Amino acid sequence: MPSFTHSWLPFIYLYFFGGLFFFGGMIIIHKSNSLDLRLKKNRWWRKVLYFGYFYFLIIHSILIIAALYW
Amino acid sequence: MESLHGLGTAADWVVMLVYFFGIMLFGSYFAKYNRSTNDFFFGGRRFAWWLITVSIVATGVGSHSFVKYSAKGFEHGISSTMTYMNDWFFMPFFLFGWLPIVVYTKIRSIPEYFEKRFSPVARRVATVFQLLYMVGYLGIGLLTLGKVFTPLLPATIDIFGLSIPVTLMGVIIVVAAVTGTYTTFGGQTAVIFTDLIQGLILLFAGFLIFLMGISYVGGLDAFWHLLPPDWRLPLADFNTPPDFNFVGIFWQDGVAGSVGFLFMNMGLLMRFMSAKSVDEGRKAAVFNVLFMLPLSAIVVGNAGWIGKALTEMVPSQLNSNVNPDEIFVAVTHIISTKGVFGFVIAALTATLLSTVDSLINAIAAVYMNDVHHPIKNYFKKSKKVRTAEQDAKEELAAARIASIVITALGIIATIPFSKYPTVYEAHGYFHSTLTPPLVIAIFLGVFWKKFTPAGVLATFLGGSSLMILGARYPGILISPVAHGTPMDPVHPFSYISALYNTLACLGVGVLVTYTFKWQKKIVEKIRKANSHDIGMKISIGAIVVSLLMVWFNIGTLPLLLITTLIMTILVSLTSQYYIKFNPDVHLDGLTAWSIHRAKEIFKGSKINEREGEIIKAHWRLRKDNEDYISVSKENMKKMHAEVGDLVYICDARKYLGGLKSVHTKFGEPHDEPGIVYIGEEHKLSALFQEGKILTVEKEM
Repeated sequence: MPSFTHSWLPFIYLYFFGGLFFFGGMIIIHKSNSLDLRLKKNRWWRKVLYFGYFYFLIIHSILIIAALYW
Repeated sequence: MESLHGLGTAADWVVMLVYFFGIMLFGSYFAKYNRSTNDFFFGGRRFAWWLITVSIVATGVGSHSFVKYSAKGFEHGISSTMTYMNDWFFMPFFLFGWLPIVVYTKIRSIPEYFEKRFSPVARRVATVFQLLYMVGYLGIGLLTLGKVFTPLLPATIDIFGLSIPVTLMGVIIVVAAVTGTYTTFGGQTAVIFTDLIQGLILLFAGFLIFLMGISYVGGLDAFWHLLPPDWRLPLADFNTPPDFNFVGIFWQDGVAGSVGFLFMNMGLLMRFMSAKSVDEGRKAAVFNVLFMLPLSAIVVGNAGWIGKALTEMVPSQLNSNVNPDEIFVAVTHIISTKGVFGFVIAALTATLLSTVDSLINAIAAVYMNDVHHPIKNYFKKSKKVRTAEQDAKEELAAARIASIVITALGIIATIPFSKYPTVYEAHGYFHSTLTPPLVIAIFLGVFWKKFTPAGVLATFLGGSSLMILGARYPGILISPVAHGTPMDPVHPFSYISALYNTLACLGVGVLVTYTFKWQKKIVEKIRKANSHDIGMKISIGAIVVSLLMVWFNIGTLPLLLITTLIMTILVSLTSQYYIKFNPDVHLDGLTAWSIHRAKEIFKGSKINEREGEIIKAHWRLRKDNEDYISVSKENMKKMHAEVGDLVYICDARKYLGGLKSVHTKFGEPHDEPGIVYIGEEHKLSALFQEGKILTVEKEM
């Protein structure tokens, strides 16, 4: 069985520090009004951006579970 | 390590030569779409997102990827994919910060942004960093090409009784000449269309190897269980071994690399700039990161995974001591038949050429904008009256010559890189040393309104000096941020040094910007002194001496750190003294906080963001050649368009991906519904065909 430092620790680090950059970016583009939510298409883009973060998080967690238990 | 030679059969080489020749002709065909340097470099800002996406695959996956990631896949397993699956974190910054700024400000190169946002001096320094980075990158691309081809070739080639020895440099020159030819004549449109073909071949060939490999080792279940457990994990071990660990690669690739790739890679940016609109560029970027990059990770790394499974299954078939850089070719040779091997190698050729061709095109763009034009403007004393057409022709010729010269420089750049043990190290060295200063400068410039010219110049000079010191004294300077990564004495902290370099540049930029008021007060006092001008010239001399001391390692570490600190202070003060920074001008439409203004500047008037329909119409030619089109009043209403709004007209056949299209403005409407009147230049630029229907889409 691979160690914690090879399985879940990198995952936690990736989505914690990556998340700081990602959510920091979301706050900046929202506050700067660059992502103007009055426009319908920008509301769609906001959903796409959040989807992408959780999409990769889920892919990585599935792959780690597969590596550990399949 | 074992090296492979002479794997290519005559059939394989016929396939490759036919491919080379075919792609050269195909690319050169698109020369007819180049009527200006805008067309040559940016493809006339006309393409659909899907065309950009596929062409990005071929470029992003190009050059070193097959060699590099197959090697890592062989040595460490599925974790070779992690560099392709950590690019999402900076997408908000890119999609709603940098991308709209790049498009709406109409900058043609990154250094040009530095001039608009900061000052001409910042542009000059940025140009040096950018050109060094790109020419070096081109050299690495060409070197990889040579390293891939040479093992496939026999020691000599006999043609008409002449025995020609095959050398690495000879192979590099031939390949560079072929690539240079179609980039030189075809420009960005050629690059995009050849990459479309190459991207598709690449994906097909990569999955072909994967499927053949899985079948060869006895199915997916057998393949999975042949891999040792550590090889199945998608992320590397946290901080060991020194040559492949998660935390180092996160900072080197996930942070510095991702921001560098999205913000600084001119080849990639030019693809997005050739999309028909910002939204179309966003779609291309999102689709690429969400779907194409994970697929590409499998395409480039799977030969290594299959290779590992093979060594576990039949150790005699593939020597586990094989050179990892040759694993892609070795595995493909084992699992495929002769014809298929040739095809796969042609696909590899495709990706290698894609990176090299877009680099040549991108460097030529930087050269034209940041070296050729400023020099031309400086010497603009000619009394001759020239027409716009003459100028455009001359520009296009200069761009083509620049492409040839850059290709030659790329060949020369391979000489020092060929001395590194592997392409990976040569590339890693370049990536970690030249990316952070530009990345931090762009990032702070776009997202931080307070970031000053003094801050950007200090980031470049002070930050890079601290980076040089870090490379010389890694045990003292990089160790504290190394997250427990062991230091390899030969190649110390290859990856985690990116964190130190990023922090050094960020720290300098932020500190200098926050001390802006102090600098201002000091400079005001200096100005009151009698010989203030001489004093500032002396301080420039001191900056140069300090830089030389750091570059040539004159002194101990404490002395050099103090020298860097003094130099950074002097850079801040001299910038404050000489550079006139007007926030009303230098921030207007140039940061994420003023995107709306950027749109207005782009259009030239108030923007109209009401969402309307896209209409279809038959085209007719007007007698005059003014840059506007006319549609009926009824159609204007459907589009919610007004006279003067920007419009995009395109051949309605979607499979052309916007190849036959043009941007213009709405003129006064008429009373003939379903008809659009266009000018002669629109017809020539887009090569519209008689009788074909056009779509008309209001932009803003």
